[in-house]
Formats: sequence, structure tokens, C-alpha cells
Amino acid sequence: MNFEEIEDQDGIRFSFNAWPASRLDATRTVVPIAALYTPLKEREDLPLIYYEPVTCKQHTCGAILNPYCQIDPRGKLWICPFCLHRNQFPPHYRDISNTNLPAELLAKHTTIEYTLARSAQVPPIFLYVVDTCVDEDDLKALKDSLVVSLSLLPPHALVGLITYGTMTQVHELGYSECPKSYVFRGNKDYTCKQIQEMLGLTALANRPQQPVRPGQPAPFVPSGNSRFLLPIQQCEYTLSSILEQLQRDPWPVATDKRPQRCTGVAMSVAVGLLEATYQNNGGRVMLFVGGAATEGPGMVVGTDLKEPLRSHHDIEKENVKHYKKASKFYEGLAKRASTNGHVVDIFAGCLDQVGLLEMKSMVNSTGGIMVLSDSFTTLIFKQSFQKMFEKDTEGHLKMGFNATLAVQTTKELKICGLIGHAVSSNKKTASVGETEIGIGNTSAWKMCGVTPKTTNGIYFEVVNQQGQVLQPGSRGLIQFVTHYQHSSGHFKLRVTTVARSWAEGNNPVIAQSFDQETAAVLMARIAVFKAEIDDGPDVLRWLDRMLIRLCQKFAEYRKDEPQSFRLSENFSIYPQFMFHLRRSQFLQVFNNSPDETAYNRYVLNREDVNNSLIMIQPTLMSYGFEGEPQPVLLDSVSVKPDSILLLDTFFYILIFHGETIAAWRKAGYQDQPGYENFKELLEAPVVNSQELLTERFPIPRYIVCDQNGSQARFLLSKLNPSTTHVSGGQYGAAPSGQAIFTDDVSLQVFMEHLKKLAVSGTS
Amino acid sequence: APGPGPVLGPGQVQGSQFFVPGEKQAPAFGQPVPAYQQGLQPLAGQPLQPNMNQLAGQMGAMNVGGGGGYGFNNQGPMLSTVALMGAAPKILDLDAPPPPINLPATASITQSPHANCDPSYKRSTLNAIPATSQLLTKSRLPFGLVITPYRSVKEGDDPVPVVTDSIIARCRRCRTYINPFVKFVEGGQRWKCNMCYTLNEVPSSFDYDSQTQQPVDRWQRKELNHAVVEYIAPTEYMVRPPQPLVYLFLIDVSYPAIQCGMVATAATTILESLDRIPNDEGRTKVGIITVDSSIHFYNLGAESGEPQMLVVSDLEDPFLPQPNDLLCNLSDCRSTLEALLNRLNDMFKDTQNVGNALGPALQSAYKLISPIGGKILCLQASLPNLEVGALKMREDPKLLGTSKESTLLQSASSFYKTFAVDCSKSQVCVDMFLFGSQYTDVATLSCLPRFTGGSTFFYPAFTAAKSEDALKFAHELAEFVSQRIALEAVMRVRASKGLKMSAFYGNFFVRSTDLLSLPNVPRDQSYSIEVSYEDNLSIPIVCFQTALLHTSSSGERRIRVLTLAVPVTTSLSELYMSADQVAISTLLACKAVERGMNSKLDDARDALTNKCVDILGVYKTHMTASSSGATPNLQICDNLKLLPLLTLGMLKHVALRGGSQIPSDLRSYAMHLFSTLPSQCLIPYIHPKFYSLHNMPEHCGTIASNGIEMPLAMNLSSERLERGGLFMLDDSQNIFLWVGRDAVPQLCMDLFGVPNYESIRGGKTTLPTLESDFNQRVNLIVGKTREMRRTSYYPQLYVIKEDGDPALRLWFLSHLIEDRAEPIMSYYQYLGHLKDRVNASSF
Ligand SMILES: [Zn+2]
Ligand SMILES: [Zn+2]
Repeated sequence: MNFEEIEDQDGIRFSFNAWPASRLDATRTVVPIAALYTPLKEREDLPLIYYEPVTCKQHTCGAILNPYCQIDPRGKLWICPFCLHRNQFPPHYRDISNTNLPAELLAKHTTIEYTLARSAQVPPIFLYVVDTCVDEDDLKALKDSLVVSLSLLPPHALVGLITYGTMTQVHELGYSECPKSYVFRGNKDYTCKQIQEMLGLTALANRPQQPVRPGQPAPFVPSGNSRFLLPIQQCEYTLSSILEQLQRDPWPVATDKRPQRCTGVAMSVAVGLLEATYQNNGGRVMLFVGGAATEGPGMVVGTDLKEPLRSHHDIEKENVKHYKKASKFYEGLAKRASTNGHVVDIFAGCLDQVGLLEMKSMVNSTGGIMVLSDSFTTLIFKQSFQKMFEKDTEGHLKMGFNATLAVQTTKELKICGLIGHAVSSNKKTASVGETEIGIGNTSAWKMCGVTPKTTNGIYFEVVNQQGQVLQPGSRGLIQFVTHYQHSSGHFKLRVTTVARSWAEGNNPVIAQSFDQETAAVLMARIAVFKAEIDDGPDVLRWLDRMLIRLCQKFAEYRKDEPQSFRLSENFSIYPQFMFHLRRSQFLQVFNNSPDETAYNRYVLNREDVNNSLIMIQPTLMSYGFEGEPQPVLLDSVSVKPDSILLLDTFFYILIFHGETIAAWRKAGYQDQPGYENFKELLEAPVVNSQELLTERFPIPRYIVCDQNGSQARFLLSKLNPSTTHVSGGQYGAAPSGQAIFTDDVSLQVFMEHLKKLAVSGTS
Repeated sequence: APGPGPVLGPGQVQGSQFFVPGEKQAPAFGQPVPAYQQGLQPLAGQPLQPNMNQLAGQMGAMNVGGGGGYGFNNQGPMLSTVALMGAAPKILDLDAPPPPINLPATASITQSPHANCDPSYKRSTLNAIPATSQLLTKSRLPFGLVITPYRSVKEGDDPVPVVTDSIIARCRRCRTYINPFVKFVEGGQRWKCNMCYTLNEVPSSFDYDSQTQQPVDRWQRKELNHAVVEYIAPTEYMVRPPQPLVYLFLIDVSYPAIQCGMVATAATTILESLDRIPNDEGRTKVGIITVDSSIHFYNLGAESGEPQMLVVSDLEDPFLPQPNDLLCNLSDCRSTLEALLNRLNDMFKDTQNVGNALGPALQSAYKLISPIGGKILCLQASLPNLEVGALKMREDPKLLGTSKESTLLQSASSFYKTFAVDCSKSQVCVDMFLFGSQYTDVATLSCLPRFTGGSTFFYPAFTAAKSEDALKFAHELAEFVSQRIALEAVMRVRASKGLKMSAFYGNFFVRSTDLLSLPNVPRDQSYSIEVSYEDNLSIPIVCFQTALLHTSSSGERRIRVLTLAVPVTTSLSELYMSADQVAISTLLACKAVERGMNSKLDDARDALTNKCVDILGVYKTHMTASSSGATPNLQICDNLKLLPLLTLGMLKHVALRGGSQIPSDLRSYAMHLFSTLPSQCLIPYIHPKFYSLHNMPEHCGTIASNGIEMPLAMNLSSERLERGGLFMLDDSQNIFLWVGRDAVPQLCMDLFGVPNYESIRGGKTTLPTLESDFNQRVNLIVGKTREMRRTSYYPQLYVIKEDGDPALRLWFLSHLIEDRAEPIMSYYQYLGHLKDRVNASSF
């Protein structure tokens, strides 16, 4: 079974591709039946349909006609595989026959996309929220990027601008007389109603309080829509000139203070503005933030520089003044934005933290984009931001709006939940199970923003009781229906229907169907989800327990004989993934800032299997004089003085020159005749890394370093410490490879422990 | 209709009697004298027979405020008693100078002709001061000062001399400034204070200039020669460096304000006045805030030179949207400011917003300028209706004319007074330009100017579509912003030992007992102060010294000192002889307004009549032969003979008149003028100037050596009106042209350029400029009327047709105060009433 081919066709990968037929058997397989599904996965040969889908008329079902439906061409009937209802084909399907089938019934069209007749009334909306408490260079770079981005927007897209510092300013782009903006205090928690009144978006704000003389026109409230959010083709000049003339926040900042930065109020105003004007129309609030909020609701730190930004330790010790209040505030905004169908993106350009930890819910709940960079002058920001506006072959932005993902299952299978950037649609159908994993208790989720990369983890449980006899060859079915607003304005419906065979609990086909890569990522998502709520050590213990149980179930071994322990090939590297996951920044947070943790976890929850695996277990390529570059173990033994290593952790790409290589390079051999091969060697990893850089979003950090250089720590922290400062070489010989200063256990030690525990009879 | 022909009998040609003897009588350049100027048959009564005294009086009054000072009169006192009843009041004496201040020639050390204060700056109600409070009580005469310390100095007026050498000699005990009425003693080593008699060292620099090392002549010092003098103050007189002028325009841009054209007119006027705003040192700052249901600030400091509008809608908690550039240096931000003013009206032209948040806008304006102080010019065309300071339409016709009417004349909201007091503390002045098509609540909104040294202007039913309305407002605003005002001022009046200042009237805030705080001192505003006794006076001469410490509009800290010396008397007759009916009326007007607002209008009116009765009664009892028993006629000294007429004028004035016809806004505004107008404007406001134009002598309305010749004023009686006549009435705020219904076509053609009476349009108007001699003369008279007083008010011209709009006609006739106007008595009835009261009581 080729998982990647299936992924290419349907955008989906399952942990198990043959499903244990009973609840009990399913529990014993340890890793739940679950999928990583990329609803808008790009596919060149995606069947595009320009008619409305045929749906099951059973009133609680509504499943969409698909290749797994039984049809009766003579009776013009089809049987819904989910509810077994017999549906009449619609009249225009009267010519249907086994040789003349509509596209959606063709076996190869398990994934299909309908372009619906209805299209959005309002083009996509882009509301820029720009921090002006940044230094001149940053502001200049940011302004340049923003102006460039205007030209990348579809001409009909609506744009708006909010700038903020000590106060928040909403720019009225539709005002022709002069630049005009509405100003809000930065330290006041405005209610949504107040914001709308103050912007004149409600009739109430301008309602006459004194009698209007007869014969005069009744007071008229100009629509807020036309004042603050305008088609870019109409206001590009105005908006560009406002941006070009944008100044740093004019309020003075004492040397021992942070600037007053009211990110909370700015976001509250932004969310309120879209809420009042374009509820349920696709749009995004793009926040460009250059530092931590220090004022008003949502502040994460005081203005006093003596007060440090909270660390993981502070949070663990509950020694944090603003954390809970701020998180709650942004969660409130996140809820409103997601309810209204609006995306929130955060672009952070700051060496220090900006409060992503507190603000993350806004992005996570709405399917937004988060880019963390040191400054708006960095390539990471500039290129990532531009990449956001990538277009498809037809010139449409690669972003969908206001999406709903609905899942339907055949009755043996129920939905536990989803882990990804979405919120519950609170749709309680028969497919909803009792067990909850991630966002549960629903069979549908809302994703205000969705991209071709957006990948969700969806978890299921088997509800068949033991002993219920299955028809031989019977299959379970899952239908994923994604309804979204395409950036062209069309509403589209992406339908993926998958079927997998049921198997008795002891049937080896189950183990053979195990996709260890997908399983690792799915388990990683659960672990991270738990880590957001539970203590770190608890999560690690849970991961260990699950790993041991999985090994006990699927490994071959003799009881209490660790050396007899064997894992089949499709399980073999799973423990290694778990080893790296345990020590990854997703679960070991103390070497990172809370913002970095929030960011790392955000990225993990949106990427597909391959990218997620790179994050969990980075790839390492070695370039040497002999032979082609080759992947090497992510292990300290791979570090050699005469080779170059290329490390890809997804978040950064690192080129590491061994001692000898570095010395030669410093001596300038590459520029001397006769050393062309050395020059080529130096260039090869650079070329490869550029390839990685261009296809990745956000753009990874790019590091070039030398063995023993200070930046080398980025590599060493990822390597398996098979040789540490305590292990020494065997038989007293000098250790080979690079010694790593760590107390962490090495993979080898980890595996020894795993084997021992798996085979012991007691657990 | 009567024919236009000159059907005249002998003796009916009265015109020649108006001519000043010796002047040419023939029409200029062979033009015949038009028939309408030859005097038609009067409606009733006889044409005025002016006597030569009146003429002389009028000629004397021509140079009011110029050289018309007191001078020294050493003639023995002569009490001349006149009878009031039986003859028309001699109204030309209203322009007569006050009774002389009879000081001995040696009273002032320099005997300079300028040693005593000109009445245009300061006048006392009594030009001889009772030696005891008993004498004052007995006389029943009001005792007070009318001060116009910062009156404008027009072309031809003497400028106020400035002492530039920073030598300020003050009494070490009572802090009096050295003045022409001190005495040098001990061989000129010391000076004796004329207030408290303390001996003070004479500064050596009075005699010797240490810089030039030259002896100087102390007798040349300005402060020893001039009653009105200004010092350049050294740093001891500064709490902080002199602040620049700040003009912050706070403009209502709600629907009514745009609709009536106020915003467009204001923007244009401000734009055109930018060069006239005082800015000597290039320090003047300007800002603009506009307000409807939001507050709009303007960033005038943008590099682009384009104004940026910043809207603050948080009315609960208004704030400044940015720390700088909202208030800008006039010279630096000139082009941005012009750009803003050019488009200000367009910015709001389509507004439908009827909200107005004046209160929050004022708070914001205050935040903006309070660190410096300055002027908030508030242009308001709607009733504030949002948040703090919101006002309701509270006009209630049922209350008008009742004892509860005063509640409508009081402030409806405590916000404005509290706010005004805060402003005063921060040297912020608020001026109110009020425009209203509906109720405007002048009573409440004029509180701000009242306590901050500001000014109130009121334009009822303003519509810029009427060019006269636009012109008046534009003229007044332009004049107002061009005034060289004083700022950061405090004023204190000191008097000789035994006297104290006991009550203050006008626009200011009383800080500590007698220190008046004036964030701004506008030109030509008057302050009245009542004086009372602490002790009897055992001295021959009393001195009143007013010191106005201020920052000039050119950024100098200065002290203006006004010294008035008045003799002390123990004689009741001297006291009466010296009483100044103009100053008395000015003080009584202030007191009546205060009474009317705080108590009841009835009380205010009764008090005025009672005061008249008392004065007449005391005079009758102690100064005339018929000291007891009924008198057949009322008698009073010549210098007080117009007091009953002025009192009646006040009783009949919009400010105080009874009845239920006067909207509170109009009344409040008139009351405001009563308490701030200097006598020069207040007296005609109470007793307007009334002229007959159709038959005026030929030289009237022509330019003579001393300016444009005015006709003689007539008594305010409708008996003077003639059917075919043209009359003018000027109350210093408005000018009325009354056209009799039989006006001949030639008059209509000559003056208005229309063929006949029917074609004349009544109401607010602008006289056309025509070739005709008559038109040019009337235009000159109207023009002169508009500029002859020291004021920035621009009187509006109304044409009243005898059979035209009844409301306009009634309005005009209400000024003819000698007439009976139900239910108020005619002048003669009033005299009869006073007589009965006098006869019924003992004094
Ligand atoms: Zn169905
Ligand atoms: Zn003294």
C-alpha cells in the first residue's frame, strides 16, 4: 500500500489503513484510527465540477454522491452508503448507465471539487493592523512590504488600515478631503458596541437627539463599509500614501520604559470593525506587531523595563501578572473573529517576545498565519509575507475563506475530534462519538482561513461491539466535505470519500496497514494538545506508555527477553520518532521562550505528514568529497571534520562546515585554481538549501556555521547524543564524532529501556 | 396716497433751522434740495426745535474718548436744579462729559493735563466722594467705578505711555504704584503714598541713570505725568515666561452648523484673517477642533503639508489623539492651516449628523491648550446634546413673564461654570459665538466667557445665505481675532484707606477677595465695581488705582496702571452735583442684570425705579425748596436729569422688560451686553440714537474736518415720525431705517434705487451704493455709526417699512421709549409715577 500515492490523490493519510472491527480490538491497537487530511491539497488533475452535487435526501444525512454509492441505473436510484437511504437521481441524471457515469461516481474520483453556482457577494477583505512603536528601520521595511503587498491583492479585494501605538487609529480610506482616522484610547477596554458606535457603524451613533425640522431629509447613516474598507483598485493611491507617510508613534518613551503599545485595543477594534461591516464574509485581519502589548486590555507586560517578559518558569510558578487576563482577552477576540468568519494573522517582527503565547488563540482558532521574525527587515518576514499572496495558475490567491469541514462516517465509526486550526461548528450528528480527542463533540469544524497546506488531524473511534459479525470485505466509509469561499469569490465544495476494510483484531493486515509516519504525527498532535493543558512530565509519561503498549501489541518478542524484541519494518522507526518527539521543542519548552513554543506548536498543527516529521526528527545530509551527498543519522557520530552537514529542522536550515572544511574555506582554497572540487563541495549544500527555502512557508531561518562556532549549537541540540562528554570512546579510545554536552539519554539507551519494558510481563 | 409734489406753505420749510450758522445753505453743485428733504407735514406734534445749547453739547461730544478728559475746574460749585416734567428730556446731554472733578491745581505733583484718568478708561459714579458712609447712605447715590482698562486705541487717540526702564516704584506697605498724586517729601528723597500715607524711598534711578551715568529729570517720568501708564514688568511679575497667544477654534460642524452656513463663513473668515492675527514675535499658536457627535482634531504638522483629521468618538473619556502638532505655530503651519480652512466646509458638507458634543470637545480643547493657556473660540450653532454639558430645549413660554422666568436665565448645567473655573486657573479663555435657528441656551453657554474673561456673540436665526448675516459675523470674527488682546492677566483695584471694592460685575473670575482673574482681556470690555466704606475719610482727595498685570500680545509682561483722583466732600449738594448719570446707569444696569438672573426680573425692575425714587426723593427733601409736602414737579440737578429717562430705557429694554414676549436667548444676550459694554456703547444700547434723515441739514452725511457730520439726535418718541419721512435709529447693536409709507418715489429712488415705496424690501439689508447725493450721505452716516464706537460689534442694518412686517415694526417702535408701550408707561407717565412715589414717602 503506497501511502503517498493515496495522499497525492485524496490529501489524506491514516494511522491504520485496515481497521479493527470492534471497539475492544481498536483499543488494543493503541494508536487511534485517525487521519491527517489536507482538504485543499493541490492536485493538478483534480476533477473540477461545475454543477451542484447530488445529496442524500435522508433528512439527517445529506451525504454527497460518491464512487462508493451503489447505483441502480435502470431504476435511476442510488443507495446512500452512510444511511442506506434509496435516493432518486435528479431528472438531469436520466441518461445515467454503467458506461455513462457522472464524474463523481468514477472510482478514481474519490476526491472531487464542485464549483457551486452561488458566489460570495463580497470580495475577500484584508484589514492591515500595523504597529508603529517600532524603530525607523523596521517601520520603513514594514511600510515597504505593506505597499508591495497591495499590488499582490486581487484588484477587487477590500482593504482597510488600522495603525496603533499608544492609541489605535482606524483610517477612513473612503474620505477624499484629507487623511482621516478615528482614534481610540489604547488603555480602555471598549465594548464591541462602543467601537461600532464610535466608528459610526451603527445607526445609533448618529441618531438625532434633537428634532429635525420637517421638510429636511431624515438623518442618514453612511455605510461604514464604504468608508473604512474599500476595493484596493479604488483606494490604492490613498492607502499607499498613508502608508508611505506613516510615522512612528509620536508619544514620548522614557529610556527606562517600553513604548506604550495597545495591541489589544487595536485587535479589538479590528475585529469589531469587520464584525460590524462584513459578518460571515471571508476576510483577514493581518496584525504586524513589533513588540509586546504594554497597555490596556491584552497587555502582556508593563511599560517598565525592569519588569521582564514572562518565561515558561514564571508561568509554571504562576508568577505572572497579565498572562491569564491577556489570554482570556485574546480568546474572546478569537471567538468573535471565528464566529464572524474572519481570519487573524500575526506577523511578529521583534527580537524579543511579542506575546504570541497570549495571542495565539486568535490565529489558531481562525486558521490564520503566524510568522515569527526578529525584525521586519529580515528576509523571513519579507519573503514569508509575500509568499502568503502566492497565486494559482489562474491568478487567484492560494487561500480559502470561511471554510467548513464536515465529516460523515458509516455507523461502525464515530468521530472523536479534530486537532488543527479550527473551531467547532457544534454540529451533533450521528457520526459524533463519545470519546473526545481535540475539538470534539461535533462532526463539523469551521476554518475561517484555509490554504492548500492546511492539514488537520481527525480522530475516530470504532463503536462496533465485539461479536458483531462483519460481512467479508466490508468497509468503513468516511466522507469529508469542505465548503469554502475561494478567493475568486466562488463557493466551492471539496469532497473526499474514503473507504477502508474492516479486519478482525488478530488479522495481521491491521499491523501491515500501519503508517508509522502518520501515526507519529497524529500522536505528536495529541501530545501537544495535551501539553497545552497538562503538565509536561505527564505528557511524556503518556507518550512513553503509549509507545510501550504499541510495542507490546505489535512487536515480536519473548516475554522478559529484551534481546528477542523485533519490530516489523513499518513499525521500526516509530520509536525513534517518539524519542525525538520527547526531546523536541514541542514538548521540552524550557529552552524556548513561551512565544517560540506557541509558534512551534502552531506550525506543527498545520503541516502535513512529511513536514511534521521533519519538525519532529530533522533531516541531516552529509556532503563529502566521496560520492553523492547522503542522508546521515541525526546523531553526533555524523559530525566529521571533513564533511559539510545540511540540517533541516523545518524552522531552520543549517549548513555546518566540519573543522577541516572550515579551515580550508577560511584559507580561501575555494578561490584558488585546482580546488574547483572544494568550491563545488561548498556550493552544493547552499544550492540544496535554496530549494528548500523557496518551497517552505514561513521561510525558515537560514544559518551557516562552522564546527565549534557559536551557532553550531543549533545543530548539536538536535543530534542524538550517542557520544556525550560522559560516554567517552569505547575501550578508552577517543570518541568518534562530536561530543555533546548533555545529560539527555541517547537513542540507544532509550531503545534499551523500551525493549526491556515492552517485554516485561508486568506492564 | 399723497402726491409727491412740493405743496408747501410758508413756515413749513424747517430744514434751514438745522443748519449750523455760517455754513453754506445752497445745495451743492446746483442740485436742488429734494422735496422730501424739505420737511413734510409731521404725523403729529411739532418738529424738533433744537437750541444752540444742544448743538454745542453735540459738538462737544464729537470727540468722545479723545481729548475729552476731565481737566481741572476750579470754579466754585453751582448746583443747577432743573424740572423734569413739562419738557422733552434734553437727550443731547447724554453725550456731555461727566461732571468735572474739582481738584485743586496742586493735587498732582506734575500738574500734567494727563494726571487724572480719562473717563473712557475709568470713571466713578461720583466725582466727589462722600467723606462718610452716612453721607453716602443719605444721598442714596450708587458708588462705584466703571473700568474699561484695555479699551482700544484708535487712530488719533493718545497711545498709553510705556515706562520701559523697569523701574517700578511701589508703596512698600499697600503696593500702590507711584502716580501723579503722591507727594515728594524730605527734599525729594522720599515719596508719600496717596493711599496709605506711608513714606517710601524714591528710587535713585529716578534722578540718575547709572548706565549712561547722567542725571535724569524725575519730573519727566511718565508715571508722574500720566494717569494711564504701562510698565514693562521685570521677572518678579512672572510666574512663568510670558506665553504666546493661542487661538484654538472649536467649531460646531453638526448638520445645523453646516446648513446655516456658519462653518463656511467661519472658515473663510479665519483664512482671510490669518495675517491679522497678532503674531509679532512669530510665536502665536493656532489649532482647530471641529465637533459633531465626535471630536475631530487636525494634525497641522504633517510633513506632507496636508492636514490630517483625527476623530475621537470616545465622548465619555475624551483624550488627545497625539501629543503634538494639534496646536501649531501659526507661521510654521500656515500652508497646512490654509489647506484645512479651504476645505473645512467641504469636509462636512454632506453631513446629516445632528449630534453635538460640546462638553467633551471643550474638555479636549482644554487638555490641548491648558499647559500654555490661551483662547478657545467656540463657534456653536446647535444645542449641545451629547454627554457632559448636554443641554435641553428648556424654553417654556409659560414661564416667560412669570417670577420663574429667571430660572431660564440661569445656567442649566453646572458643567459650564465648573469648567470655566478650571479654565480660569489655567489661563484659558473661552469665547462663544452662538448661532441659533432654534433655542441656543445663551444663558448657559455664556457662562464660559463670563468666568474666563471671554466674549459672547450671538447671531439669532443666522443664515449665511443672507449676505448681511454672513457679513456681520465675518466682520465681528475678523475684528475679534485681530484684536491685540492681553493675556494671563490679573486685575486689582486699590483705593485710599477707608474704601474697599465690594462687588464686581463683568466677565472674569474673582480669585481671592478682590483679585480679578482674566485669562484674556479683550479690548473694550467694561468691568463695574461697587465701592463701600471701611472707615470715614479724613483726607481731601481719594485715589482709585487699577493695576492690570498682563502679557501683551507681543509677548511682553506688562502692568497697566490707571489712577483716578477724586476730591472728598462733606456736602450733599456737592455730591449730587458731581454724580455721573452715565456711570450710575452703567453700574445700575450691571446690578439689575445680576438681580434679574439671581432673583426675579420684577425685583430688578423695582430696584431700578426705587433707586430713581430715592435719588429724586433725597434731592427734593434736601436740595429743593419743597423739602416737605407734595411737589408739583420733579426736580433734580442738571447732571442727573437724564437718569429717569435712562432708567426707563432699562425698564423697557429687552434685558429687563416685562411681559411674556421675550425669548430667553435674546434676553440673556442683552443681559450679557448690559454687564460688559462700556458706557460708550451701553448708553445708546439703552437709549438709542434717533435721527430724521429725509430732512437733515445738507452738511449732515458729508465729510468735514473732524469727520463725517452726523445729524442731531432726537427724542425717542413716535411723535417725531413723519409719514413721508426716513428715520434712522441706532442702538449700537443694530441700525434701523424707518421708511414712512408716504415716502416719495424720489426718495425711494435716491436712497434705495427703487421706483417707489412698494418696491422697498424690508428687513436686514445692505444699502446700495448709488450715484445720488442722498444715498451717499446716508451710507456715510451708516458707516460712521458702525465705526464711531470702540467695539468689535458690527451693527446690522434693518429697513423697517411703516406698514411692513408687524414684528419688525414693533421691534423698531419698542426703542421709542418715551412712548407708552403697553403695559409700560410713557416717559411722562413714568415721571408722574416717580413723582407720586416721591410725594408719598419721606427721605
Ligand atoms: Zn444518506
Ligand atoms: Zn501705600
